[in-house]
Amino acid sequence: MKRYQFLLRKIAWSFFTILFVLVLNFLLFRVLPGDPARAGVRDPRLKQEAIEAIRVRFGLDKPVLNCFQSLNPLRLGSCTVNPLDTQFFIYIRNLLHGEMGISFHSNRPVADILTERLWNTVLLIGAGQILAIVLGVVFGILAAWKARTAIDYAALISSLLAWSLPTFWLGIILLFWGSSQGLPIGGKATPGLSSLPLLQQWADIGRHILLPTLTYTIVYMGEYMLIMRSSLLDVLAEDYILTAKAKGLNTFQILKDHALKNAMLPLVTLIAINLGFTVAGALQIEAVFSWPGLGGAIYEAVARRDFPVLQGAFLLIAVSVILANLVADLTYSTLDPRVQPE
Amino acid sequence: MALVGLAMLIAILFVALFANQLSPYDISTSANISMKDIYNPPGAAHWLGTDDAGKDVLSSFFHGARVSLIVGFFAAFISVVIGGVMGIVAGFYGGRLENILMRFNDVMLVIPDLPLMVVIVALTKPSLLNIIFVIGLLGWTTTSRIVRSQTLAVKSRKFVLRARAIGAGNAHIIRHHILPLVLPLLVVNAILVISLAILQESTLSFLGLGDPTALSWGQMLNFAFGRGAMSAGAWWALFAPGFGIVWVVLSLTLLGHGLEQVLNPRLEAHHLTPGRPVVQSQVPLAPVKVTTEAPLLLDARELSIDYLTKGQPPARAVEKVSFTLHKGELMGLVGESGCGKTTLMLGLLRLLPAAGQIVGGKVFFTGKELTAMSEEGISDIRWKGISIIFQGAMNALNPVRMVGDQIREAIITHSPMLSHSQLKQVDGRVTELLDLVGIARQHKEHYPHQYSGGMRQRAMIAMALACNPQVVIADEPTTALDVMIQAQVLELLDSLRHKLGLSIIFVTHDLGVVAEMCDSVLVMYGGVTAEYGSVDTIYNAACHPYTQELLKAFPDLSHPEKRLASIPGYPPRLENLPPGCRFAPRCPRAIPRCHTEPPALHSLGEGHFASCHLVGV
Repeated sequence: MKRYQFLLRKIAWSFFTILFVLVLNFLLFRVLPGDPARAGVRDPRLKQEAIEAIRVRFGLDKPVLNCFQSLNPLRLGSCTVNPLDTQFFIYIRNLLHGEMGISFHSNRPVADILTERLWNTVLLIGAGQILAIVLGVVFGILAAWKARTAIDYAALISSLLAWSLPTFWLGIILLFWGSSQGLPIGGKATPGLSSLPLLQQWADIGRHILLPTLTYTIVYMGEYMLIMRSSLLDVLAEDYILTAKAKGLNTFQILKDHALKNAMLPLVTLIAINLGFTVAGALQIEAVFSWPGLGGAIYEAVARRDFPVLQGAFLLIAVSVILANLVADLTYSTLDPRVQPE
Repeated sequence: MALVGLAMLIAILFVALFANQLSPYDISTSANISMKDIYNPPGAAHWLGTDDAGKDVLSSFFHGARVSLIVGFFAAFISVVIGGVMGIVAGFYGGRLENILMRFNDVMLVIPDLPLMVVIVALTKPSLLNIIFVIGLLGWTTTSRIVRSQTLAVKSRKFVLRARAIGAGNAHIIRHHILPLVLPLLVVNAILVISLAILQESTLSFLGLGDPTALSWGQMLNFAFGRGAMSAGAWWALFAPGFGIVWVVLSLTLLGHGLEQVLNPRLEAHHLTPGRPVVQSQVPLAPVKVTTEAPLLLDARELSIDYLTKGQPPARAVEKVSFTLHKGELMGLVGESGCGKTTLMLGLLRLLPAAGQIVGGKVFFTGKELTAMSEEGISDIRWKGISIIFQGAMNALNPVRMVGDQIREAIITHSPMLSHSQLKQVDGRVTELLDLVGIARQHKEHYPHQYSGGMRQRAMIAMALACNPQVVIADEPTTALDVMIQAQVLELLDSLRHKLGLSIIFVTHDLGVVAEMCDSVLVMYGGVTAEYGSVDTIYNAACHPYTQELLKAFPDLSHPEKRLASIPGYPPRLENLPPGCRFAPRCPRAIPRCHTEPPALHSLGEGHFASCHLVGV
């Protein structure tokens, strides 16, 4: 019963956050001056009919919201408009139907472009994240166990160094090195291989994903290592570790059965909090390696001022991160018996 | 670490300040640049080569430092001010305001900031000012959290409450009492926020969102990467600006981490740090006391333990302490806090913390020398031969494992290679043990936090008995419990002792309990044996002034009208021991000799020992 309420509250909270992002996204693209559709309307060279056509095409002829004709709060509009026929509700309704507008650049529906690309990003983040977590945890354990030895200091310094590397720059350096080693310099697959057997196609994708994943792993591994190290150091100084030692358990058993689970718990939360930063890393890596993911989509959309794609990609990323956070929260509550909903 | 970071930071600040003077070329003009200047490799004319427009990379690098640092510092300033104000307000005023602010904080924390920055900068004019504001306005989330929790911690301290009681206003309290204590933390956080802001600026610039008129390091990378430095093989144009970013961010990170360690020192030693080797005594030593009725189980001979801290002389925590424990005997170990009782007990099983070292003496258990055993050898003795009931069972049980499971683990560890049916028996044994200490079997699968304090202590006792040990060390098992539960636990221990024929060392402050239950008593003071003897001798014929004073401090049922007397002063600090008798400064009967010469342990016959000049005649 209590657990049920706890779940409900977490889900409600995520829902509220998503709503906040939706409103933010709506407002940002209307308040800030950069959108060419809106900027175009003010272009004195356009004829009145052309302006009207643009306004109708992008739904700008409708009021923003009930009682608000425009975003200027001093200039109120009519409140008798059908609320479903306002810009805000049309925006929400379209989103619910999975419509995010049409790309300025390719004239394709944004939703189609993004769903293709979402999986590529998931693939990249997934591979990099798993490697970074596994290696970070292993080195973190090693450093904490051998605290204050040369191993510990080496791990500490190298993770601080990795933290200081700008992700995109590390990508560039690796790309420079990789291209001299004959690795592909970008994209997800070599064009023209679709006739080859599936296995060879996968091998080709593997060669393409190698450097982006490596970049990702190096950048985030250090952070996970630091977290794991300090968390494990805290746990190893606890009284119950002394109990375990007094019980005659050997070092390996103590680490495995008494320290790791306790030390991993903070890591789960931190992985969740880090997801936002993680996306930032993916964005840079995809830009450098022309990886066809969401980050790459943002990079291209910025360069081409393709605002529907930018808006859609931001929304998709934000919602994914919020949902992933929710999953992490729920996982944590099942892992730690002490988490009792108050 | 902090110093290295600071030096690196000063170096780059110098470069940024004197960019104009240091730069060999003027990067603001494009005069006299021709096609053949583009992507020239490093050489005598251009130390770091030239870029896509034929400009000197070194000069751009110097100027880029300026832009990157300006953005970093100003953006971080905005973030830290917003975060600091929000954190203090939320933490100080609390209530609904705090709730709203922190909820907002949570929402902002979840939204990925870089994509949001990209969207905002893409929609506005890419100017340096806009970038500073966008990074600054989105970067406060961690600061406000840290400041809030620190404010909360400071708010409830005594001096703040006192200031409030004498009528100080909120503004006054915040300015004079809260801010000074929050500030150090804020500075460390600000350093990390600056480094983050510099990284974010470079990323935005690299993505093509930078101010085209201000050549930051990120912008240089954007130009080089976007304008064919890769295909031209011009590594120098790509390497230099990235190196600058790494340099600054690393210097700030080192500085931040270094400062954090100074402000918040953490002892990075733990229970798995390999123990220091035992210094083996070459002198032959004999058991201090042997009674013939029962077999001798535990025998400590002149055990000495030091604590070693770097840069300080070793502190002697236990000095030549000897005792013997026979089968079925209950020995009380008495003394004030900090007298080395727990250290002595941990030393017996070589469970000392990383700083502790056995520097002399021997310990025997059923004839085997524990002080000479390998780590594997002593692991077998632990729990199976000698088990420990730790003080404060709250933390001595693992919070994320079921209690029954933790007891089971002790049994399985000491009887490996169990068959399936035998494992079933282990489960039965766990239930039996919990029965023994009066815990119903349905609690077997509960976690420690679901137990009450008394139950935890009883579960700890059940666990200590799991492997049928011959000796149980009970280290202040009742300190954290209320009086009724204390009595229950003590009764339980006493009944188990008779039922199972255990030998127990009972560490306590409570002389009343000792008188009631124990056979022999070891009184420790400042790491040495003050007095050691049978319980009758100690209570009726104590000769060490410390024991006498201790007894005066406890109520005596046969003379209820007697006044209780406390001993003025505190036990000596280990790093600052008096030269003579350690009790001399507090001793009511001290003679001049006591202040200069430490007394030896004198035998007074019939297993009665005391270290005092007054008795050694």
